[in-house]
Amino acid sequence: MRQEANRKQAGSCFILLGLLAWLPGALAQDLVVNAEVPVAALSRNEARLYLTMRLRNWPDGSAVQVFVLPDDHPVHERIANQVLGLYPYQLRRVWDRLVFSGTGQAPVTVQTPRELLERVASTPGALGYAETATLPGDVRPIEVR
Amino acid sequence: MRFQALSLLLLLGLASGRALALELGERLQLHGFASQSVLQTSANRYFGDSEKISTAFSEIGLNLSYRLDARMLLAAQVLSRRAGDMYDGEPTLDYGLLDLRLVSSASRIAGVRLGRIKNPLGLYNETRDVPFTRPGIFLPLVYFDNIRNQFLSSDGMAAYATHQGASGRVDLTLGLGRPLLDTNVEWIWFNNDYDAMLVPEGLAWFLSLWYSTPDERLRLGLSSVGSDMNFKPELGSGLPSGSIGFIYTLASLQYNARDWSISAEYARVPSNRRGLSAIVPLPDQVIEGYYLQGSYRLRANLEWMIRYEEGFSDKDDRSGEKLASYTLGQMPAAGFFSRIWTSGLRWDLTPQLMLRLEYQRHHGTFILSFRENPPGSPMTRDWDVWAASVSARF
Repeated sequence: MRQEANRKQAGSCFILLGLLAWLPGALAQDLVVNAEVPVAALSRNEARLYLTMRLRNWPDGSAVQVFVLPDDHPVHERIANQVLGLYPYQLRRVWDRLVFSGTGQAPVTVQTPRELLERVASTPGALGYAETATLPGDVRPIEVR
Repeated sequence: MRFQALSLLLLLGLASGRALALELGERLQLHGFASQSVLQTSANRYFGDSEKISTAFSEIGLNLSYRLDARMLLAAQVLSRRAGDMYDGEPTLDYGLLDLRLVSSASRIAGVRLGRIKNPLGLYNETRDVPFTRPGIFLPLVYFDNIRNQFLSSDGMAAYATHQGASGRVDLTLGLGRPLLDTNVEWIWFNNDYDAMLVPEGLAWFLSLWYSTPDERLRLGLSSVGSDMNFKPELGSGLPSGSIGFIYTLASLQYNARDWSISAEYARVPSNRRGLSAIVPLPDQVIEGYYLQGSYRLRANLEWMIRYEEGFSDKDDRSGEKLASYTLGQMPAAGFFSRIWTSGLRWDLTPQLMLRLEYQRHHGTFILSFRENPPGSPMTRDWDVWAASVSARF
C-alpha cells in the first residue's frame, strides 16, 4: 500500500487528500514475504488462495509457508478485512475444513507481530503480514492489487 | 477408554498452555479436539439415557499431517466418538490419505487423493465430528446422524479440480470407494440387528460441485453419494438375502455477512430394496430433509443461532400414516417424520475453548436411532432436548 500511495501522489488531489486524512491514524498494512520469494505482487484473489492455504506453491513450484497471528489479534483482523476482503471467521472455517478433513494444513500461528516477522525472515518461501513502517532486511512487502 | 483419557490429558495440557498448534518443524502439524456434551430429553432415548441426564456424547480427534513437498501431503486422523448406544468411543481411523497436486496455479488447481477420504458432502460432512466446525451441538437432520457411516467416508480415491476466476471459484470433486458400513446402518434400514451382514456391493461413487464468490460470502453446492449394499444372512438364519441401493443428494447454500450467516440445505435420498420384503414390509421410500439456519454474532466470540428443519422417511407420506399402516401398528406415524426447532448459543472463551448451550423442540421421532429405541419401546411424538457442551482444540 505504500507503493500505491507513492504512485498516486502525482494523481488526483482528492485521492491525496483522502490518503492524508487516512494515514495518520494507521500504519501501512502489507503482506510480507521472505526476501527470496520470487514474486513482487499478487492479485487479491491470489492473496486469498495463499492465505486460505489452497495454493501451496509459488509460481516457480517452491513451497509456501504461511504465518499468521491469532484470530482475535487486531492486526490479523485488519489484514483479513482490508487486504483480503474476508472476515477472520471465514479464514478459520476454511483452515478448519482443510485441517480436520486431511485435505490441507493450517498456517502456523505465532503470538506477536515481531515473532511473525522473525519467522518470515528465517523461513524460505514464507508469507505473512506486517503493520510496521520498517521491515527487517530479509523481509519485503508484497503488493496486493 | 484409555485412548480417550490419554487424549483428554494431552488436549487439556495443550489447550491450557499457550501452544496453538503443536508445530513440529514447519512441515509436520499435529492438531486435535475434544468435546463433552451433557443432555437431557423430556422423553425418548437420544445419545444415551437422556431422560435422566446423559453424558454419553463425546468426541476426541487427533490428526497428523506431513507435507513432503509443495505437491504431496500425507494426513491421518484418529477419532474416538461416544454417542449413546450407537458408538462406544473405540478409536477409528477417520481419514488417512495422500493428497497429490498435479496442477497448481493461481487460476487452476487439480490433484488426486488416495486412501480413506471423507466424502465431501454438503457444508459439514467432512468435519461433522469436529464441534468447532459444526453449526450446533447436534448436526442438522439432513446429515442423518443415526446412519452416518452410510455416507461418512470412502476407502478409495478422488480427483479434485478448482478453477478460480474473477467472478468466483468453482470446486469439483469426483471419487470412488468402499463405504464403511456398520451395525448402526443395519439398524436404520431394518429396524433391527439381524444375524446378517450388510456389505458394500461394488464401489460407491461421490461427487461435489461448489461455487463461491471471490469473497466467499455466497457458497452454493451440490453433492451426491450413491451406493449399493448386499444383505447377507448367516447360514441357517432363515432370513432372505437381498440388496439396497440409494443415491443421496444434498443441495447447499450459505451466505456469510460480517455479523450473520444463513445456511440452508436440502437432502433427497431415493432408495430401493430388492428381495427384502419379508423382513422390511415397507415400500421403496424417498427420504427427504431440509433446514434453514441463521446465526448472528453478537460479539466476535458470541454467536446465537436458530434453525428449523423437517425430515421425512418418505417425501410422499409426510404424515407418516401410510408407512405406519405397512407396519401394522408396530411403528407409529410419528416415527416417519421430524420437525425440529433449535436455538443455541456458542461462546468461544478463547480461540481454543468453546462452550455451547442448545435447546430443541421436536415433533416426531424420525431422527432417533432404533438401536436406542427398539421397535415396541414407547416413543413420544413431542419432546424437548436441552444440551450443553464444552470443547477444546489445538
